[in-house]
Amino acid sequence: MIRPVEGWFAKVGRSYRVTLEHAGALGMLSWDTLVSIATLKVRLKDILTQLHIMGVQSLPIVFVTATLAGIVTSQQGGYQLISSSPQYILGTLVVQSVVLELAPLLTAIVLVGRIGARITAELGTMVVSEQIDAFKSLGRDPISIIAAPRIIAGVLTMPLLVGFANVIGINAGMLMADFDIGLGRETFLYGARLNWHSWDLFYGFAKSVVFGLFIPVISVHMGLRTRGGAEGVGLQTTKAVMFMILSILVIDALFPPLLLQ
Amino acid sequence: MISYKNIHKAFDIPVLTGVDLTVETGEMFALFGPSGTGKSVLMKTTLSLVVPDLGDVEVDGLSVYEGPSSNLEKIRRKIGYVFQHAALFDSLNVYENVSMGLPEDEISRLTTAELSRRVWETLEIVNLEPREILSKLPSELSGGMKKRVGIARAIVGRPEILLWDEPTTGLDPINTAAVERLIKRLSTELEVTSLLVTHDVEGGLQMCDRVAMLSGGTLRFVGTPQEFKDSPDTVVRAFVDRAAAIAALDMAVV
Ligand SMILES: Nc1ncnc2c1ncn2[C@@H]1O[C@H](COP(=O)(O)OP(=O)(O)O)[C@@H](O)[C@H]1O
Ligand SMILES: [Mg+2]
Repeated sequence: MIRPVEGWFAKVGRSYRVTLEHAGALGMLSWDTLVSIATLKVRLKDILTQLHIMGVQSLPIVFVTATLAGIVTSQQGGYQLISSSPQYILGTLVVQSVVLELAPLLTAIVLVGRIGARITAELGTMVVSEQIDAFKSLGRDPISIIAAPRIIAGVLTMPLLVGFANVIGINAGMLMADFDIGLGRETFLYGARLNWHSWDLFYGFAKSVVFGLFIPVISVHMGLRTRGGAEGVGLQTTKAVMFMILSILVIDALFPPLLLQ
Repeated sequence: MISYKNIHKAFDIPVLTGVDLTVETGEMFALFGPSGTGKSVLMKTTLSLVVPDLGDVEVDGLSVYEGPSSNLEKIRRKIGYVFQHAALFDSLNVYENVSMGLPEDEISRLTTAELSRRVWETLEIVNLEPREILSKLPSELSGGMKKRVGIARAIVGRPEILLWDEPTTGLDPINTAAVERLIKRLSTELEVTSLLVTHDVEGGLQMCDRVAMLSGGTLRFVGTPQEFKDSPDTVVRAFVDRAAAIAALDMAVV
């Protein structure tokens, strides 16, 4: 029974090669974006449009996710802590969970759905309808016209949305703690302050910047590789969403060993 | 003049396996072939929209793949490309779409009034009423109108060479006839070189000085329309007969 093993190795080898290809292409795309920013080929108007779509229009859904995250953490924390630990620990728990993990991660997942999928489908449609070819045939650079504004807007928007999610999540958790176990605002904030490191905030924002770069870079990259009609667009969008979610979870797992010792 | 030299291109399977073809300056040239044989791929190698695995393209003596990269920029200015499904930019209106056909430096050189006049005139050339459609988005246009806007975008920069990828496919007979007249007129009035990929064999034979047929990765036939009709090659014969049958069917439906 050598064959299955061989087949397995071949598969691993192939996915390794595919991964390297993707990684190389992602690097190139980020580089091309930097070059078009440096050479001032990106139009401010395009960036502003994307900032509006990614930032302003994401506020409602980010509000809802952050509220729920704060409420759930607060309730579950309250349930676990109630007898054994001092109640103000709940303030620590909610704030740390929201700032370090929940706000960046959930906001990123929401943006994958709202922005990533949209970018891949949009660019995929432009590929299969030959609009990307048309840009090139007219001597225009699709990277600086289409890719760069989305990538720049992603990097700028994500930390702002995460900051917004932090505020909402913490406040929702604080209200819930009061409602649920009668933990007052003062005590909650006392607990939050007791174990607070400014580094945590930086850590959360660093994550959000990386997510904010990866989501548009991956979605643009996948969109530009779309083949084969409307069906291809659907297929590629699904693939891109999987790719983005996996990357985000992997990056998220890499953060503690790198930035929290 | 466009010279394709030994063009090879494979995707998952080989598509082009050594295509040599020269389209002379001022010529109207039609390229036939069953669908999926690589006609679009060949045409796209002219502007490096598809990069061949092997071979080179020369446009007026400028090499696309073996020369300096500035060649491509020069070549792009010489060539207007009419895409099969028009490939209009979804988010831009007709005015913006057509003006994209001009190089960036030319746009910044023109005043708004000059640019506007240029777009206006070009839309009139393709028999569109500028006043009615300038501010429309592509999604608000019919198929025939989209094609014409696509043509307008390709010719607004006054190219010396036009590449037409199935400009009449999917159009009704009236629009087909109109677009064919337009191609003919542009080719004679503007004295451009035209390379035309088309399913409409009858139309292509009528309009063009020379024709070729792509089949099995290489050119199966290159010659005049008369030679094409008289060709003893069974593959060419089968193609001509099938095209005639389809044309007859079209007529019957109408
Ligand atoms: N970008 C691409 N990636 C993969 N395959 C492609 C690509 N472009 C074209 N092909 C394949 O090349 C073949 C020729 O395509 P095309 O030139 O569009 O045919 P046609 O002669 O109908 O214009 C088809 O099998 C098509 O699937
Ligand atoms: Mg084609």
